[in-house]
Parts: sequence; structure tokens; C-alpha cells
Amino acid sequence: MTSQFWGTPEGWIAIVGLAIGTFLIRYSFIGFFAGKRLPPKFERALQLAVPAIFAAIVVPLVVMNQSQVDLNARWPHMVAALVTGLVAWWRGGMMLPIVAGMSTLYLIEFVFR
Amino acid sequence: MSHQGSLPTAGEERARDAFIAGFKQCVVLTPSYIPFGLVCGVAAVQAGLGELGAIALAAFAFAGSSQAVLTQFIASGAPLAIAILSGLVVNLRMAVYSAAISQRISNTTRRERVLWAAFLVDQTFLFDEQRHARGLFKAHPLAFFLGCSAILWPTWIATNTAGAFLGAKLPPTWQLEFTIPLSFIAMVVPLLKSSGQTGAAIAGGAAGALLFALPLKLGLIAACFIGAMVGLVIDALLAMRAVRGGKS
Repeated sequence: MTSQFWGTPEGWIAIVGLAIGTFLIRYSFIGFFAGKRLPPKFERALQLAVPAIFAAIVVPLVVMNQSQVDLNARWPHMVAALVTGLVAWWRGGMMLPIVAGMSTLYLIEFVFR
Repeated sequence: MSHQGSLPTAGEERARDAFIAGFKQCVVLTPSYIPFGLVCGVAAVQAGLGELGAIALAAFAFAGSSQAVLTQFIASGAPLAIAILSGLVVNLRMAVYSAAISQRISNTTRRERVLWAAFLVDQTFLFDEQRHARGLFKAHPLAFFLGCSAILWPTWIATNTAGAFLGAKLPPTWQLEFTIPLSFIAMVVPLLKSSGQTGAAIAGGAAGALLFALPLKLGLIAACFIGAMVGLVIDALLAMRAVRGGKS
């Protein structure tokens, strides 16, 4: 094996640092508040934060092209996302909504591009 | 009906059922890991972490966006501490997942809590959120969670490894990366059971797009706060209207 395979000491510090830090973030509440009730308002805020975070992850991935909102290039993706949402709402599950969305995307790109 | 001897066995079987159910549900997500896993593997090698480092990073960080940010900063010659901190900021959202999980597990040993934390990523969290919302496997939530992790963690390592050794050469027309937002949509939509949650999702989505230019995905954290606030306001308005409706 070449030395490239093993990486550098600095690289390993970065790997270990990110791994430990990320674990501590993940462990934060689980480690110290598991089984201890947080105030109901806070718990409701958490319930609301979850859809907010995931919507904030999803919307840019759907409507943006190279960090810019580009409805011209992304309308097929928006339609596909809408189809996935409708199927998920109507039927639930994982496979069917994703397949429906990707099929919609492929179909639109095949017909219009 | 009391067969004391058979009770533990029945319990074990249910734990195994929960594990298998989690595993099966998450198999569907494996294709969505391929494009991003390949890209992360390539980026790690290009940043000089070496193939072994790329694999270790995937295995022990198990967090794609932060891996990408870390390797990007290292490749651009940023100081090590800045690169690590930047990657960690990207993962701050996981504290929200940790808080949500902490409220639904009790009587756990430290080992169990470590397992919950070790495999807590967007996908495993959302599946647990769904499991919880449906009231499934209440006796064995960790088994379900670990079933999910047992397919997703090795898949993440495998795709990063493939990227490190082979590069990322998927045909762009496949757009496999688009299955990631679609999978999140499929998981979140069934969770929207109140006007507050729907309002939080709409506000969060709008904020996520408007604040996308913020560095280190800080827009996600901001969107999380904005969405939760909007949701709480909607809750309060509905409660006020209910009170008024009750009086008149």
C-alpha cells in the first residue's frame, strides 16, 4: 500500500475530531435527559422543529440548481416532489412515493427535454 | 394463560421482529445513499485523508453533509480546528433529534443510550419518528432502530469506500441523488398531523430556501427555530379560537 492509502496525521486528527464531536452532539440529550420529562412546551416545539428542519433540507434540494433558485430548470423536480408528497399522503410507505416521484421526473425529462 | 417459561422467548421474538421490520423498511433507502456516498468518498481521498481515512470517516462520523464540509475545508487549506468545527456546526441539527428521542426512551442502560446516539442520522431518526407516531414496537424501539441502522450504516460505508477507490462516475441523467429529498418527503408528510406542524413545515421550507446562502448550513438551524416558532403561534391561535368558541 502506498502512503496515500494511509492518509496523513492531520487527516486522522480531523477524522477523530469530527467523529467524537458528532457523537457528543448525538449523545447530548439522549445521554442526559433520557426518561426525564422536558417541559411540555419544549416537547411540542421539538415536534414542530422536525418537519421544519426536513422541509428546510428538502426545499433547496428541489428548487435549487447550483445554489440558485432556478424554477426553469427545476420545475420537473418540483412536480416530482409534489407527486411523491401526494402519494405519501394518500398511501404512505416509502417505495411507492419515491418510485412515483422518480418516474414522474424521468417522464417529464423524456417528454420535454 | 400463563406459561412463565415461554414469556422471555416471546419477548425476544418481538425484539427480533422489530429489528427485521426496521431493516426491511430501510432497505428501500439504500439507492439514495449511492450518489452522495460516492461523492463523499472521492472528496475525502482528494483532501488527502487516504482511502483508509475515507472509509474511517464514513464509518465513525456517519454524517454525509459534515463529511463533505470537513473535506472541503481541509482541501482548501483551512486550519484543522476550523475544518472540524465547521463539520460539527453542520451536525448541530442532530441535537434536535437527540432531544426528540430522549423524550420517548426510558429505563435505558448507558449502553443502550450510546447505541441510540451512535446511529442517529436523518434517516434513522425519521424512521423512528414514524414508528413512534404509529405506536409500533413500543416494547422494542431500539431493536427497530438498530435494524434500520444495520442496513444503512454498512451501505454508507460501502458507498464511501466505492467512491474512494473507484471515483464517482454515475450517469448524470439517472439523478439518483434526487431520491434523498424524495425519501424525506415520503417520511415527513405522514407526520404532518396538525396545523401547527404543517405551518412549521411551510415556514421551515421557505426559510431553508431564503437562508440557503448562510455558511455551514446555519440556515437549517435558523429554519428549525423559525418553523417551531410559527408552529407554536399557530397552536396558540387555535387554542384562543377554541376558548372563544367555547365561551360564545
